[in-house]
Amino acid sequence: MSHLAQTQTQETFVLNLGPQHPATHGVLRVKLVMDGEYIVHAEPVLGYIHRMHEKMGENRTWAQFMPNTGRLDYLSALSYNFGYAAAVERAAGITVPERAEYIRVITTELNRISSHLLWFGAFVLDLGGFTPLLYAFDDREQILDLLESVTGSRLTYCYFRFGGVYNDIDDNFVPGSLAFIKRLRARMPMYHDLVTKNIILMKRLIGIGPISAEMCRRYGATGPVLRGSGVQFDVRKNEPYSVYPEFNFDIPVYHECDSMARYMVRMDEIEQSMRIIEQACNKLPEGPIMAEKAPKIIKPAPGDYYFSVEAARGSFGVRIVSDGTNTPYRLKLRSPTFSNLSLFAEASQGMLLADALALMGSLDLVIPEIDR
Amino acid sequence: MNLEKIKQAMMALAPQAPVVEAPAEVAPVEGAEVPVAQKGRPAVLDTDYAKKGFTLDIELPPENVVAAAEILFKEGLSIEAVTGVDWIKDGQLEVVYDFIDWQWHGRVVVRSRVPRDNPQIPTISEVFAGANWHERETHDFFGIKFIGHPDLSPLLLPEDANFHPLLKDFKA
Amino acid sequence: MGTENVQPSIVQQVVQLAQLDNLLAIGRANSLWPMTFGLACCAIEMMATGASRFDLARFGAEVFRPSPRQADVMIVAGTISKKMEHAVKTLYDQMPEPKWVIAMGNCAISGGPFVFEGQYGIVEGADKFLPVDIYIPGCPPRPEALIEGILELEEKVTGTRRWPRVKAG
Repeated sequence: MSHLAQTQTQETFVLNLGPQHPATHGVLRVKLVMDGEYIVHAEPVLGYIHRMHEKMGENRTWAQFMPNTGRLDYLSALSYNFGYAAAVERAAGITVPERAEYIRVITTELNRISSHLLWFGAFVLDLGGFTPLLYAFDDREQILDLLESVTGSRLTYCYFRFGGVYNDIDDNFVPGSLAFIKRLRARMPMYHDLVTKNIILMKRLIGIGPISAEMCRRYGATGPVLRGSGVQFDVRKNEPYSVYPEFNFDIPVYHECDSMARYMVRMDEIEQSMRIIEQACNKLPEGPIMAEKAPKIIKPAPGDYYFSVEAARGSFGVRIVSDGTNTPYRLKLRSPTFSNLSLFAEASQGMLLADALALMGSLDLVIPEIDR
Repeated sequence: MNLEKIKQAMMALAPQAPVVEAPAEVAPVEGAEVPVAQKGRPAVLDTDYAKKGFTLDIELPPENVVAAAEILFKEGLSIEAVTGVDWIKDGQLEVVYDFIDWQWHGRVVVRSRVPRDNPQIPTISEVFAGANWHERETHDFFGIKFIGHPDLSPLLLPEDANFHPLLKDFKA
Repeated sequence: MGTENVQPSIVQQVVQLAQLDNLLAIGRANSLWPMTFGLACCAIEMMATGASRFDLARFGAEVFRPSPRQADVMIVAGTISKKMEHAVKTLYDQMPEPKWVIAMGNCAISGGPFVFEGQYGIVEGADKFLPVDIYIPGCPPRPEALIEGILELEEKVTGTRRWPRVKAG
């Protein structure tokens, strides 16, 4: 449990964490008022990578905005492609063929695994362990090979189109994915034995950074942060979209509310994503990958629409306000990490600085997604 | 979460018209103007989730948004986002709040319009702490002042920024 | 930007110092220590270049230093926003000589995909305020491209290309 320092004096000093710092995962600056090693007040300062996505939304046609979505949270870029494409399809009334939905789900879940693997490597790197990063990147490169053969990109995907996907999978994709899953399933026990059950990691994470479900509700936290606090909420089950209802998968929930719980949620999610990919690969139907009646120029009916998907970091929402023309009138991107980080100021009070970094790593931050 | 209780409480906050079904979708007219503010629309509207992505659409005057937030907080909802829309042709700015409930398949949207030349609305950050940052961002982008907000300094823009980029008449 | 001007006072020292110069250049080129300066998406490809498959350690450059005081080369990987510009310049000034700058990715070269009419937030390229030595295009560039950029920088430092060029096709 975090506790305030028992000091007689009230001498505090201001410490600046970032914007260039190895553990802030991007350009985040945190103004810390410190009492020795204990944090009295932490104030994140954002905006160092504000890239004007929402303004660009108003200056681009609906289709021209798609590359931006890959650059929001580049680690799970396909989820962001998904959210935006599905929002516009909802607004314009376009139905996606089944094969395209399956391909969307398979590629998105592969992307989720690669995002969690990178988070795992970077998180343990923050805590001081360098080697798991190299192993995690090795597995991640295999996923990137698979996704590159289909989408053409390694990182900032722009693969979805309104009405489907633009490129069909080749013959090696399904056997390659299943072989990869077999390989990763055999490697996960190694990660758990060497890292999860490591006494140093356990001491660094268990009991550190408690975030209650009530705090999550007040701040709007979603994703593994919320599921590590005992709440079973996942957009894929709560507001099901695409073909997720057809798959058998669990939502890992841990009730301890500490950093270890959030860590375990993500590790278990890797296994659940593998289950989804296996089922989808085995049930993949034949058919077209683009809707036949998808219009060439998208002009959704006037009004506002919302679509929410489960990205690797939480619930990503797109609110589009259309005025019937071929450019959005307003495009709001609801970023999960924005809400997750907003509770950092309250959650880190009275913590040791090193513990606060463990808390920040367990929140899984990607700053360009916060700053948009 | 009790949906009926929410609807009754919201109607009490803006007693204009009873709940009606969402109007039939109208096909867009080629070259149509930006739709005029829906004057006289009912305060509480049931919407089709499959078509719109939200279940309840509530329009309130600015002074009642805190009471609405308190009702939704008591009913167990969580704040999802707060943002603004610039309706320059109506001379109004719209503040849009999104709320979800973890055990409910749906979304509650609360909207409020403020005049563009003096946009002020009370803050809901006392009720939902997460609204603090959302409101700062909305202030950054649109210049809407949230009365009672502890710190409306720029969040995403530089500290000395005095411009509001998402306004339709913004010139860099 | 790299080789220092040596003003010898005695003639026979010129030959010996030129050899020393070359030796120092080879030493520097073989152990460029980059500064961890990942701003956005290109940072991930930079991490991937340092990780297991692409292995920047083969070229002596895997020791990413968070502190600018210990770094040789600043790899500007990502978009520079106007809010961040001052911090980037400060970090560059804090690096000791000799130092180099690699602009990695389209954003660091010229603002990348975020340049549009009426943009208010980004600096269109690192070379607006930093002296850039190597430009690596891509969005994001592949790790192989970053390695090629490091090898080009080594060529700039030593004067000769010491690794084979990969022929296309």
